[in-house]
Amino acid sequence: MSAPRSFVAGLVAAFALAAAGTAGAYHTNFVASRCNSNPPTAISHITRDASTTAALRARWEGYQWAGGCWNDNDVDDSPGDPPGVAGTGGEGGDCSGFTFKVWRESASTSDGGYYEWHPLRFVHGPYTAADFKAGVGAPNATMSKADTSRMDALASTDHIGMIYARNADGSDLIIEAKGEAYGTNLWTRTYRGSSSYGGVRRLGWASVQPN
Amino acid sequence: MDGPHRVHRDRVDRRAGAAGIGSGAPAGILTVILAGTAVAHRVAPSPPIPVLEATHLPPLLTAAGERVELRYDVFCAEAGAEPDGPCRASGSVFVRPGTTGPFRRLALREERGASEGRFATLVPDSIAHAESGFTYYAVLEAATGTITLPDGGAAAPQRSLPLGTPVRVALGAHEFGRTARASERVAEAAWGSGPGEAGLEQGRNLTPIGGASFDVSGDGTVHVLDEANRRVLRWRRGSRSADAAVPLAINGTLADMALGADGTIHVLETTDGGRETQLLRTFDASGAARGVATIAGRASQVRIGADGAPLTLQQPSGQWMRAAAQDGRALAPAAQSRRATAARPLASGHEVVVLRKGPEIRVSLSGPAGARRSWLITSATPVAEVQLAEVSAGRLVVVARLYTDTEDEFVTLTLGPDGLERKLALDSADWAETAPLSRFRLRGSSLYQLGSTPAGLFVDRFDLEVS
Repeated sequence: MSAPRSFVAGLVAAFALAAAGTAGAYHTNFVASRCNSNPPTAISHITRDASTTAALRARWEGYQWAGGCWNDNDVDDSPGDPPGVAGTGGEGGDCSGFTFKVWRESASTSDGGYYEWHPLRFVHGPYTAADFKAGVGAPNATMSKADTSRMDALASTDHIGMIYARNADGSDLIIEAKGEAYGTNLWTRTYRGSSSYGGVRRLGWASVQPN
Repeated sequence: MDGPHRVHRDRVDRRAGAAGIGSGAPAGILTVILAGTAVAHRVAPSPPIPVLEATHLPPLLTAAGERVELRYDVFCAEAGAEPDGPCRASGSVFVRPGTTGPFRRLALREERGASEGRFATLVPDSIAHAESGFTYYAVLEAATGTITLPDGGAAAPQRSLPLGTPVRVALGAHEFGRTARASERVAEAAWGSGPGEAGLEQGRNLTPIGGASFDVSGDGTVHVLDEANRRVLRWRRGSRSADAAVPLAINGTLADMALGADGTIHVLETTDGGRETQLLRTFDASGAARGVATIAGRASQVRIGADGAPLTLQQPSGQWMRAAAQDGRALAPAAQSRRATAARPLASGHEVVVLRKGPEIRVSLSGPAGARRSWLITSATPVAEVQLAEVSAGRLVVVARLYTDTEDEFVTLTLGPDGLERKLALDSADWAETAPLSRFRLRGSSLYQLGSTPAGLFVDRFDLEVS
């Protein structure tokens, strides 16, 4: 093997090995460079409108399994993360972390109070999709799917998405952190009819929009 | 799902000598570090963007004597501001009887106690119950901007048709567990990436997704969009195993598909990672790319219209939009919005409008000669989504999902001028997620269902015995 060819081969091999090493610690470093650990702000009430707006702010942002930090520039700043790897430090929540933050819940499962988490606060919250489906935690309760309305959720043991609107054909527009290839956004879904999904409600919505 | 790392790993030359590795390795590592740094620069702060979104559920079909109230929601927040209160907004609806003439302005009032549809206006009966229905659009103003619903505004307003005197069909309470057996299984594939297998997109926090959509050509050939493997699988009539795989340059992401009469494949991508850039990709029967159209709004379905052009369904407006002109050229999003219609033009020459409202499914069907017929279906079991409403041999075929909190099944209703002619219950068979409204196709008197189990996907054919 000639020296130039072996040099190129070695370069490629090292390139591959170094790149493989970075798969476990994704190199956008979004969480490390942009996110914070500030405490949440306790608030007096929650409304479906404000939570809907908070959810809409996350449209077009990324998805990160076990994540919970995003900005609002309408771009996935960590595209192509290896899916299902918690330590990649990419932008976005996962489905349950996104719901936790939009529903303004406490990090303590026994606290049903209202907490505003800044989008750039890195927090996932204590619940998985399966926990939400089972109504685990003081702020959460299961409910009949037929009685759900805006910002209630439809949850399976694998996934949770919040209801934004019901379409004319009966399908739902769901706002959700769907997956690495999808990011966070609004999509038409048919979760309501699927028996693997149940209805979940965040307890304590203010019934009247405060001034 | 594969990142760039896997591609680089595959390029390792195993014949490399130790000396070459020794000299090349530092350069390679440096390259990766530099590349990583370059990527890291992409997360430099960029300015936050204000929120502005509005939604409205259109009353596509209005029953006689029904009070018609148009309701809207508006969501807004200044860039970087925490959304703690309701969006300060106002607006007007512009409404007229029928489809021509001047619009009348109706101011929207705010109902602060409403959990949905906070901005509302009542349509005067003289307009709401006009003989040919009414058309309308809204202009909503908030601190972060102005938004028109639907996108086409006065050029393509929402339309509400009178339900007239519908044929009434009462389904009662659905009895689960009495599903029909398929006439024939026409396609099946195990999950996998090998020949004849269909890919499964699956993550740790993701419902399994596979066989995103399908269609059936006139000769009975089944085409399944195997988006995880970026291809279409084909089963000729009589062949249970896939006998061809056509590679497609697609992203996938719960894409829908429709087949043109000449074998053209239309794939509606639900996301490509960008803002408002849903794409409709068109391929010839061999998989060669023929074009791409950026789709207006938020589309969930692609189907073929009466003239062979692809149509997409926008949600929640419920409007059907042409994605291409008569000559096949892709239309710009604004041109699509200006051609939007509430009715879906079917290949049979009919036009159909569907509205699920509470326990009801309302359907209106206009024939090629203009005669219109409507049905009002009521169900004591909750109705989820209407998957299909098309015509077979002069009969309307509706497929809807009925559900409780623990069970769900599809029901197929064959509807004639005197009411329900046949009802079939079908297993939902939805182990894997597909594009939302793509589980059924109707060809002649055959209904095809895309289903799945943990072992793989299948397509079943049900003979509806419509004559």
